[in-house]
Amino acid sequence: MNVGFIGLGVMGRPMVLHLQAAGHTLHVWSRRPESAADLPATRCATPAELGRRCDVVFTVVTSSDDVEQVTLAEDGLIEGMAPEGVVIDCSTIAPERARHIAARLSTRGIHFLDAPVSGGAQGAIDATLAIMAGGDAAVLERVRPLLACLGKRIVHIGPNGAGQVAKACNQMIMVAAIQAAAEAMHLARAAGVDCGKVREALAGGSAASRVLDVMGERMVRRDFAAGIEARLHHKDFGLVLEAARKSGVPVPLTATVAQQLNALMAQGWGKDDTASLLRVLEA
Amino acid sequence: MKIGFIGLGIMGRPMALNLVKGGHELTVWARRAESMQPLLDAGARAAASPAEAAQGNELVISMVADAPDVAEVMRGVAQGAAPGLVAVDMSTIAPAAARRIGETLAEAGVDFIDAPVSGGEVGAIAGTLSIMAGGSEAAFAKARPAFECMGKNIVHVGASGAGQVTKAANQIVTGMGVLAVAEAFAFASKNGVDRDKVREALLGGFAYSRILENHGQRMIDRNFKPGFKSWMHEKDLNIVMQTAHELGLCLPGSAATAQMFNAMVGSGLGEEDSIAVLKLLENLSGQA
Repeated sequence: MNVGFIGLGVMGRPMVLHLQAAGHTLHVWSRRPESAADLPATRCATPAELGRRCDVVFTVVTSSDDVEQVTLAEDGLIEGMAPEGVVIDCSTIAPERARHIAARLSTRGIHFLDAPVSGGAQGAIDATLAIMAGGDAAVLERVRPLLACLGKRIVHIGPNGAGQVAKACNQMIMVAAIQAAAEAMHLARAAGVDCGKVREALAGGSAASRVLDVMGERMVRRDFAAGIEARLHHKDFGLVLEAARKSGVPVPLTATVAQQLNALMAQGWGKDDTASLLRVLEA
Repeated sequence: MKIGFIGLGIMGRPMALNLVKGGHELTVWARRAESMQPLLDAGARAAASPAEAAQGNELVISMVADAPDVAEVMRGVAQGAAPGLVAVDMSTIAPAAARRIGETLAEAGVDFIDAPVSGGEVGAIAGTLSIMAGGSEAAFAKARPAFECMGKNIVHVGASGAGQVTKAANQIVTGMGVLAVAEAFAFASKNGVDRDKVREALLGGFAYSRILENHGQRMIDRNFKPGFKSWMHEKDLNIVMQTAHELGLCLPGSAATAQMFNAMVGSGLGEEDSIAVLKLLENLSGQA
């Protein structure tokens, strides 16, 4: 199948390679042409041109504005794709913006799935991403073989926007867990106890979690090089709090964690791993 | 002075009336024509659009709900503006939005001041508002006579946006202040102690504040009539939290307070005064 891909960062790049390895013909577009230089894919001049060549197009970019730009703006996918084409957006954006983009694309008969992912760069490389999809169930079934090249757990959450809501929930739980791990490590260290031993013991009990495993390990080694850049979690927390506000839902813990992320950004650690929440406590 | 006034709601109407009382010549515009009637009765002239409210005037003032409204009416003002016009927005909006509007107006040759107020409807009627202004010295000097008809404590804080930064700071202090008094009262009652007596004792010490005195009394009287509606306080705290997010600024107390106001709006207390946060606390601890 002719598959398009927009956004060739740490997530997008390994995803492109998996799709290509599965026998698909890849077409790519990126703002900086050099990021596509060594990929086994045809480079396109604009998203519209890429859209003309492809039945299915993935977008993996940073913000709601970025997704709207490549889909709806002049020379966007909307100007190139044929009716019945499918746009799969794996970025993390605001649910209402995903709904808006879906509605605009549907005026040209183009389908849209919001399909944000969890699992980070490692999950993208290992093709073990969790994929949470919002949109028409039949459309998801059509593209499921493509998604199966990228991830293990593919769940249809509901209509457009529902995938992004699930991703917001994912971020709330994950980053709060990182903060909890950071506080525990900080307490252990201040009390003169070996953090590595604490983490090892906890991993066998009720406090065991993926975050304690991966992020806890980084905290013990004091390795703050990014897995996931903390600035992205900071961005996502802006989305979560906005969604909570629009629904009138109190999220006291999320709001507190968001303040720790603000402090992290102020310290200049936005491009480091979110395990840096430990360093915020030490600052 | 010839002044255009845009937005005649709970705050705007008494403010505009005080300008008429102060001898200024007013042209008014409001989205709903019937809101203009009290001003026309007082001798003001009606404009057909924000642009017309600016035409031929030295000063134009807006008092509307939110940043998009301010941007929209100021687009009209720019069209109707004569050279040397000073535009003043007294609504509460984000500092960044105020700066953007100031820049856009500057391109049209209009000098802009952000001048949000504190003091509520009571202060607006009495002409005793606190006015915190951001903008150039010259524009502030030109607007000052109008400010003096509407307020008492008038401070030129700094450059464009500085007024809104001050208002946001005001909402941090009042938001947490109301919550602090409500928590103290919830604490007293759960311990079987009389709130009225606690308030009276605290008023003499370091916990004294205008909020303890006035809002505290209304909590004791269980008078939750606004005043200042809690959904508006939630909106203002959202400006604070959004700005903190953009700047990378850690505000844990404000964040916790904003969530309480968020819960108030979600649980149907949005139209009550912000002191109804006491009801929320009582519900959470089974004191209802």
